[in-house]
Amino acid sequence: METLTSFGNGLLVALEPANLLYCFVGVFLGTFIGVLPGIGSMAAISMILPLTFYLEPTSALVMIAGVYYGAEYGGSIASILMNIPGTPSSSITCIDGYPMAREGRAGIALFTSAIASFGGGIAGMIVMALLAPALAGLALNFGPTEYFAVILLGLVAASAVSNGNPIKGIAMVVAGLMLGTVGVDITTGAERFTMGIPELRDGVHLVIIAMGLFGVGELIVSIRANASGAHQNEIDYAKFYPTKAEWKSMFAPILRGSGIGSFIGALPGTGQTVASAVAYAVEKKVSPNRARFGKGAIEGVAVPEAANNSATQTAFIPTLTLGVPGSASMALVIGALMMYGIVPGPRLLVDHSDLFWGLVASFLIGNVLLLILNIPLIGLWVRLLKIPYRYMYPTIIVLICVGVYSLNNNVFDVWLTLVFGWVGYLMRLFRFEPAPFLLGFVLGPMMEEQLRRAMLLSRGDATVFLTRPISGTLIAITALLLAYAVYSAVKQRRARLNASAITEQ
Amino acid sequence: MKHILAIGTATLLLATPVQAEPGKWTDEPVRIVVTFPPGGTSDLIARVLAQYFESEYGQKAVVDNRPGAGGTVAADFVAEQGPDGTTLILGNNAPFTIAPTQFEELPYDPMGDFTHIAYLGASTPALFVQPSSGITSIEDYIARANGDGITYGSSGVGSITHILGQAVDVALEIEQIHVPYQGSAPAIQDFRAGVLEAYYDMVALNGDLITEGETQPIALAAPERSPLFPDIPTFRELGHDIVIENWTGVSAPAGMDPEMVKTINDTIGAIMQMEPVIEQLAKFGIAHTPMTSEEFTAFVEGTITTWAPLIRAAKVNG
Repeated sequence: METLTSFGNGLLVALEPANLLYCFVGVFLGTFIGVLPGIGSMAAISMILPLTFYLEPTSALVMIAGVYYGAEYGGSIASILMNIPGTPSSSITCIDGYPMAREGRAGIALFTSAIASFGGGIAGMIVMALLAPALAGLALNFGPTEYFAVILLGLVAASAVSNGNPIKGIAMVVAGLMLGTVGVDITTGAERFTMGIPELRDGVHLVIIAMGLFGVGELIVSIRANASGAHQNEIDYAKFYPTKAEWKSMFAPILRGSGIGSFIGALPGTGQTVASAVAYAVEKKVSPNRARFGKGAIEGVAVPEAANNSATQTAFIPTLTLGVPGSASMALVIGALMMYGIVPGPRLLVDHSDLFWGLVASFLIGNVLLLILNIPLIGLWVRLLKIPYRYMYPTIIVLICVGVYSLNNNVFDVWLTLVFGWVGYLMRLFRFEPAPFLLGFVLGPMMEEQLRRAMLLSRGDATVFLTRPISGTLIAITALLLAYAVYSAVKQRRARLNASAITEQ
Repeated sequence: MKHILAIGTATLLLATPVQAEPGKWTDEPVRIVVTFPPGGTSDLIARVLAQYFESEYGQKAVVDNRPGAGGTVAADFVAEQGPDGTTLILGNNAPFTIAPTQFEELPYDPMGDFTHIAYLGASTPALFVQPSSGITSIEDYIARANGDGITYGSSGVGSITHILGQAVDVALEIEQIHVPYQGSAPAIQDFRAGVLEAYYDMVALNGDLITEGETQPIALAAPERSPLFPDIPTFRELGHDIVIENWTGVSAPAGMDPEMVKTINDTIGAIMQMEPVIEQLAKFGIAHTPMTSEEFTAFVEGTITTWAPLIRAAKVNG
């Protein structure tokens, strides 16, 4: 009950004309930035950060948040239309979104993405409103053992992200993991695989991998494919609105995606990319339509979008209530708050409840604004496909280069992206999928860090993973999942053998 | 008598150094390079400076973040610019004190390639332990470390908190178990989850935790007790001379005109005296001490020599 009153107060704060304006500016800017491949929300937030210092803290936070989740709306547009992720976390949307566009269902895909993003955003907001203190409390009980268990579970669940040959999928996960080790090791300070290049000391940035493998790689493939002037994707203008059956099939994935996304987003340090990947993988296992995944299933667009939008909202929970940033963009938010003398922490809910609830209410307003903004614009975005490739592709390359450069103001990063573009192209030639690579790259180092830290803290006692209640439960679930996977694989094999035996007869 | 008076006055007048007034030193916009990503303390201080350069003296300034490789990427970049006053770096111990010892090959010379203009201030780290551990004094801490052993979190290998941990190991003749994190925030998180027994972090950033009783400070690595936390004893007064401060300052490429150096130093000095700036910096736990450029240069050089053995010990032990 008290939550509703607080939310009501927050709504009053968020509906003040100034905050409304900044919310609008934020989400609009965010969507626009999200659509542009390469330039992600972090670049946008760094750019508007100096501006926010002249504003009230609530307005500033509302605007920055608007940019942050607005970018997740826009990111899927480029993924669906061009198979190039607008933000790293929309890489997963490429997998089903682009095939839908190739079938001429780009409008439906964009519509689905908008609805799913809205659903995810609202779910994330509800989670934040109801569960913020509880989740913060839960996160406080999360030590390295629990993190390791969650990430392990995520990795096992996400082993289904690969569409093709499972051996190739595993190879890609391992390759991603290996690339993730490049840089200075956190636990010992030793340099791994930096080959004497100082820029590699901090490792390879996620944006570089996402833009290089998915973005530039895709561009090279398309250039080859379209060199002969082959067709551009057909657009069916009439088909924007999904059929009733399609609406129905969207509903459950959005719920599942939001659930997984909210949870993973609330864990500091995990991020939206992980959320969308894990949600996609789980959906693939659970959905009745799983055969269509990878070829243009509507669920395959709805789930990652719902997940990454809800993860974006709940990412504010650890940032505001614990002061632990989940990502670089969240670190910017904390920095901005500190300029106002607001120290993020458990006291924030109490001392600055206007700020917190104003922000939560602004999520509602922002998401509604985004829905209103995006749906009519679908026609416009789809028309983007009609721009001849010879104008569009060089523009995209420039945008990617600029976006990657804006990470560290370092040209080396741009060269590295181009290198990964070639790697991505080669991978596609030999039918290796980039998605599991991305997952191994993100989850591998996290898992290693938490594992070694847990061992350090337990003074070398490995049983701590099983004796601590939360991690013990999670590991048990993982073991069950693995057992089930092995069991169903064996069953499938037996069924196939039986079937071939029967046909022989 | 009149002669003496006249000669005396003349001598006094001659002895007065040339006063460079605070004010803008170049018509070009100035870029303040920061060694860390946006949002960190260095970055926020740079933004405060840039804001006041412009509002008080009309000197346009922008912040340029060039994070990476422990601050060396930013320092390398600045070393290669010209000393015309358009490029400054918000220096701190990362590129100037720690990097010279930590990395065998540095693309720049921390003293020779830079003009060290002005000292801003320093924040100090302290040792914190779990309130439930029953450790309230340094003697308890030593006893625990020698008994069951004690784990401590730092903000990373080679970071100032790690170096402090090393210094404590050496001075107290104990062996703590070092658990590195990426920054102090995750360390504090594990601490509050109850799995980490102790950590080192800037005292100013832990004010809330201290008041709520969530963390127990043991000692501060400052020359004197902090006015904001008068109850925390310093290592020095407990008999262990450990002073490790996270200093910040402004530097520029080598060879800058001494007039310009003095102008910038005076401008910064004037800004540091302003009430709102003092308040702002206090939130980061930084208090300003005025220093001339020569004093600052000597200070930086001093830190390299004083910290070198500690850094080497930290590197070896990891």
